[in-house]
Amino acid sequence: MSWISRFIAPIFKTRTACAALLLAAWAGLPALAGASITAVYGQHTIRFTHVSTSAGATALGINDPGFATLLRDTGASLTWQPGDRYVLITTSVPTVVSFAVGDRRYDVGSIGLQAGIAPYQQGGEVYLPLNELLRSLDLALRQDGPIAVLQPQLAMLDVRSTGSRVDLVAHGGAPLRPRIVAQNANAVTYEFDGVGTALAGTRNVNAGGIRALQIVQTGTLRAPKTNVIVQLEPGAVYDAPRSNDERDVLISFAASAAAAQTPSSQAAGSGVSSAPAGSAAVTGVTVTPTADGYAVAIAVAGSAAFEWHRLRDPDNRFWVDVKGAQLQTPPIDQTEPDPVGALRVRQIDAATVRVALSLAGPKALAIVPSGTGLTVFVGEEEVASAPRAGTGSVGSVVASGEQAATVTPAPSDQSGDSAGGDNGWKFGSSHSTYVPKNPRLIVIDPGHGGSDPGSARNGVKEATLALDMAKRLRGILIARGWQVQMTHDADVDVYAPNDSAHDELQARDDIANNAGARLLISIHVNAFINSGPYGTTCYISKPGDVALARSIQRQLASDGTKDDGVIKSHLYVTLHALMPAVLVETAFLSNPNDFALLTSPSWRQKIAQSIADGIGQYDRQYPASNAPAQ
Amino acid sequence: MEKGRRSRIPANNVKSTRALTLLVLLAIVVAGAWYYLSKRGHGIGSTLTVYYTKLDGTTLGNLSFSLRPQQPGESASEHLRNTVLYAAVQAVAGPPSDVPAIRFPPGTRVTSASVNGSTAVVDLSKDVDRQAGGSFGENGEFKAIVYTVTGVPGIAALKVTVGGETLPTLPGGHFELDQPLHRSDF
Repeated sequence: MSWISRFIAPIFKTRTACAALLLAAWAGLPALAGASITAVYGQHTIRFTHVSTSAGATALGINDPGFATLLRDTGASLTWQPGDRYVLITTSVPTVVSFAVGDRRYDVGSIGLQAGIAPYQQGGEVYLPLNELLRSLDLALRQDGPIAVLQPQLAMLDVRSTGSRVDLVAHGGAPLRPRIVAQNANAVTYEFDGVGTALAGTRNVNAGGIRALQIVQTGTLRAPKTNVIVQLEPGAVYDAPRSNDERDVLISFAASAAAAQTPSSQAAGSGVSSAPAGSAAVTGVTVTPTADGYAVAIAVAGSAAFEWHRLRDPDNRFWVDVKGAQLQTPPIDQTEPDPVGALRVRQIDAATVRVALSLAGPKALAIVPSGTGLTVFVGEEEVASAPRAGTGSVGSVVASGEQAATVTPAPSDQSGDSAGGDNGWKFGSSHSTYVPKNPRLIVIDPGHGGSDPGSARNGVKEATLALDMAKRLRGILIARGWQVQMTHDADVDVYAPNDSAHDELQARDDIANNAGARLLISIHVNAFINSGPYGTTCYISKPGDVALARSIQRQLASDGTKDDGVIKSHLYVTLHALMPAVLVETAFLSNPNDFALLTSPSWRQKIAQSIADGIGQYDRQYPASNAPAQ
Repeated sequence: MEKGRRSRIPANNVKSTRALTLLVLLAIVVAGAWYYLSKRGHGIGSTLTVYYTKLDGTTLGNLSFSLRPQQPGESASEHLRNTVLYAAVQAVAGPPSDVPAIRFPPGTRVTSASVNGSTAVVDLSKDVDRQAGGSFGENGEFKAIVYTVTGVPGIAALKVTVGGETLPTLPGGHFELDQPLHRSDF
């Protein structure tokens, strides 16, 4: 990969060059004598007054009002308090820039650099080296006659190989909108308007249809332009520039049209991952005891499909193959306590990691995709018949802001559907030992209400939808012979008008806890800052919530939106309920398709029906017992 | 006679020898304890793993960053605290904007950090409380910061305050914040 060129500002690379820049900056700052700098930035002027010098280098105090203006205008934020040694700046990228008093090292994201001077304290204020500070914000201080100019920079032009293609990834201190200003069979010229650069020069590439790159700054100091001239091999092809972020642009090249058809394996413009799409890593396998067996946790980084098999008793071998994955640990071959028996982990081919168990009998199993990979729960209980194979996926495959389905129901759920009852797939302590005072009472909590409308979109409030679905669920459950108590059946606060969130939530738990209810179901509607995420999720907090959540989620899986599975979280209502409790996030108000479903009365009725069906299945699997808790 | 002299001399020195031994042992214990306490931050290592939650709401991705070594004049406890601060700021910043991830509400920033035993205390600006979203965002945001900060050696839990005060819950999904958070909470 020696032909990959990286054009991060070469001035960073040598102390001599850095010193040259500092001297140049010093020479070009006539305002320094008055301990202030006035500079034009875009359409306005910023005046820096907390200016100091040390060892011939200019430094800027972080309490400077001009500095605050600059941070605001560039979308950056500062983390520092008096007495702090570290000064941390989060840029709009976002990249965290780290300075420390007394240390010349400063970090821009994952890149460690050396400043001309170390930040220092003076009069209770920390002063940062000005040029390095500006550079971390992708700016440069230039002198236009008597006027200083803060010039946004084309700060990075990275050349990245992605199979037969080459991507040019540009990053700037201002929105980048490159346009082609010249092109022929031998070269194409992209003009980046509004940015200057310290990257000027020519670099050989000789890959992906690119022979070389030439970078030239044109325009004026106040209205700079940077031209990137890409010298092409014969037959080379290139895409239009793509941008996922205003300040980052990616342009793809290939040696030929055929090569260009090869799917790019690079995350567009990210510069973060060079892993092939769908590739994953198995980073570890651990075996830990649970209440009635063991959990074999397979840590998977990235996206991967998996396929599992088990043989028929008396040959009780089980294995799961993680596809498109690399094993990042040494192979494992070790004996484990029963019922696991033995564990073997190895790379069986170039793209498959196999985790195999030699079970001590036809043990109950559950294969559960989880947040960090895949967990195989092995119970002590033996099962007469059970599924022998299954598939699923872990991780996420994201495109255009939306996510493909990543989790298929666990085999335990599939089996439960077909058997219609407890078939021995339960594991660990997932079933609660709570003993209800009233085993036929279910408390339904419509999320939010009263002074707290929850999320809202297009005039539709979460509280309204949640209350509607709760009432529908109440009707179904009562018809099936359950007793039902609502935490509220009107759009009101439960504890008191305009009460605190804590009082409000505790009041809802108190209703269920004081009544000794069998179950607590809290109904919500999800939302996010963008419209991408969608689907239905059951949130839980306690081990005793798992079985109920699975039963409900299994029914909700076919409700028309995506099955996002069961997620453990630290939510107040589920955490403080004594009984099994599930918070059902029915769909996303922020997603157009989910919004359409949520505003459909028939869909809300279907959701209520599914939740009731899940409760019914749970009740059949785990009939209420008045036996004291163990 | 020689035997008698040998027995008398040790007998006279036994108490003083034992006292001296005890003093030496005590000094070793004190010095060891001091060394342990003063160097406790030296085990932080040179790399920080910053986690972010992917858009499936639960899967974690991560990025690696190098850590600044302990500086002259920076005590071990201060170094630990500074590392926690850096970790929290990185977690709140999240990955570059073109990486799909659950992110803290715009404007959210870390205002301070401290360490109390094995619990990190991180204060966030009130912007974190301004987003009426759902469990999805809140769970993803805090899973990422909890995993990141508790990845710092010596830190087992994260207590989050908002605007300098303990906030019982967040508004959207009612994520509980009044107790320290552990990885096992997710």
